[in-house]
Amino acid sequence: MTAVIEVANVSKAFGSKVVLKNVNLAVEQGESLVIMGGSGTGKTVLLRIIMGLLAPDSGHVAVEGKTIQELSIPELFEVRKQIGMCFQMAALFDSMSVFENVGFALKRHTKMTKKEIAMRVDECLEMVGLKGTDKLKPSELSGGMKRRVGFARAIALKPKILLFDEPTTGLDPVMTDVIGRIILDLKHELGVTSITVTHDLKSAFMIADRVALIFQGECLAIEKPEVFKVNPNPVIQQFLRGDADGPFLQDPPPPKHNRPEANT
Amino acid sequence: MLKSFTQIGASLMEFFSQAGDFAVISARALRAILKRPFDFENLMRQFVAIGVNSIPVVLLTGLAVSMVFAVQLAFGFKQFQAQGLASSVEGLAVVRELAPVITGLMMSGRVGSAMAAELGTMQVTEQIDALECLATDPIHYLFVPRLLAALVMLPLLTGLAIYVGYWGGYLILVNVEGQSAYTFAHEFYKLIGTRDLRIALTKAMVFGLIIALVGCWRGYRTRGGAEGVGNAPTSSVVTSSLWILVTDFFLTKLMLV
Repeated sequence: MTAVIEVANVSKAFGSKVVLKNVNLAVEQGESLVIMGGSGTGKTVLLRIIMGLLAPDSGHVAVEGKTIQELSIPELFEVRKQIGMCFQMAALFDSMSVFENVGFALKRHTKMTKKEIAMRVDECLEMVGLKGTDKLKPSELSGGMKRRVGFARAIALKPKILLFDEPTTGLDPVMTDVIGRIILDLKHELGVTSITVTHDLKSAFMIADRVALIFQGECLAIEKPEVFKVNPNPVIQQFLRGDADGPFLQDPPPPKHNRPEANT
Repeated sequence: MLKSFTQIGASLMEFFSQAGDFAVISARALRAILKRPFDFENLMRQFVAIGVNSIPVVLLTGLAVSMVFAVQLAFGFKQFQAQGLASSVEGLAVVRELAPVITGLMMSGRVGSAMAAELGTMQVTEQIDALECLATDPIHYLFVPRLLAALVMLPLLTGLAIYVGYWGGYLILVNVEGQSAYTFAHEFYKLIGTRDLRIALTKAMVFGLIIALVGCWRGYRTRGGAEGVGNAPTSSVVTSSLWILVTDFFLTKLMLV
């Protein structure tokens, strides 16, 4: 199998704050990689480097063999047509309707007629369970709906790669499950290669072929979910337990207080 | 002492870095005018936002400024028993300076600030990153329609300001000061040639370029959330107004030679 996305020795710092240190990853054709890690550990930065929105300080990223940092602007845009990016807060164009958002790339980059665009937009909205919302404005949508419109916009051009940046953050557990199922459906229906950045363990294990954990800017492990769950590394075990005590936090957490027993 | 030198050095470096960035982005925007796809709908929206929606503001300011200037001229020339000159000087001032500069300054406040706020909001809500991810050059998609609309609309709005400027002068000099309507109409255009109109429209085009480029650049480079979005329009208005006044001096000097 050849790597569709290859991240080689990527490092990135903002001023004195080192965000990524020599990160190496390879995602194979059709594979779903989930990247986990604490807040501010550089997961989103890694996605932005893959998209070419940020340049790494050292190392490189290659998508389908093309090194992103060496491409000219038109070549970079050609690569981006093959990648669908779903932003953490959806990043929908707020002056446009749902239809215009989802059909944006189709209108600009294809020679499809208005009717064909309308059909494709309908198809994409149906895939994310939002058929019939095409006339609404982003301000009229809930958080979960915005994310799903963001997914529909990302898949409109039929990309080979999908990148999800914290798709479930801030959503209730039920909507989190819905989003997890949609990502899984997209993976099966479209056969895309995907990278998902998330904190949510349930949806992570639902969609992942492999799981990576970034800790203090370094990639601590990239393993199949069943292997990852039993990895003896104390950082990984603490993250899976969701416990404040342990080596995961750099600053010591506040002391634990036992909750008084409720009167029955 | 060393600290103040360091601070001056840092400020100079920051100034040159900003100026360089503005130059690079402006060059990219001007080059992008010829690129495809050409977004006609977006351009029409900008024509309406920049041009049509600015008509009331230009009408009112053009009328007010020309009326005030006519009052001053009538009073001033009366001291020398030369009331007849007021119409000619009014015409010259309105066409060469008042109409283009007042229109430029008003547009920098109305349109330039709106561009900075809109692009600034898009920047901090990742909408500009979303454009990039959808393989769309934000400079091409956001800058070009605004730039073209400003280049076309500022001269047209200046023409409108000249037209209402004529009637502002007429209201004061004919209706209040008692000049004959025939004399005013004749004298208003006496000192003006086609060169003056060319100067006015050229100035308006340059001001349009400044307003669109500064407004879009300030918005595009917005950082820091709500505070950054708040600062972008203010900074855009101050920068473009200063540049309008500075370039007005040099354009006048150059074009009157």
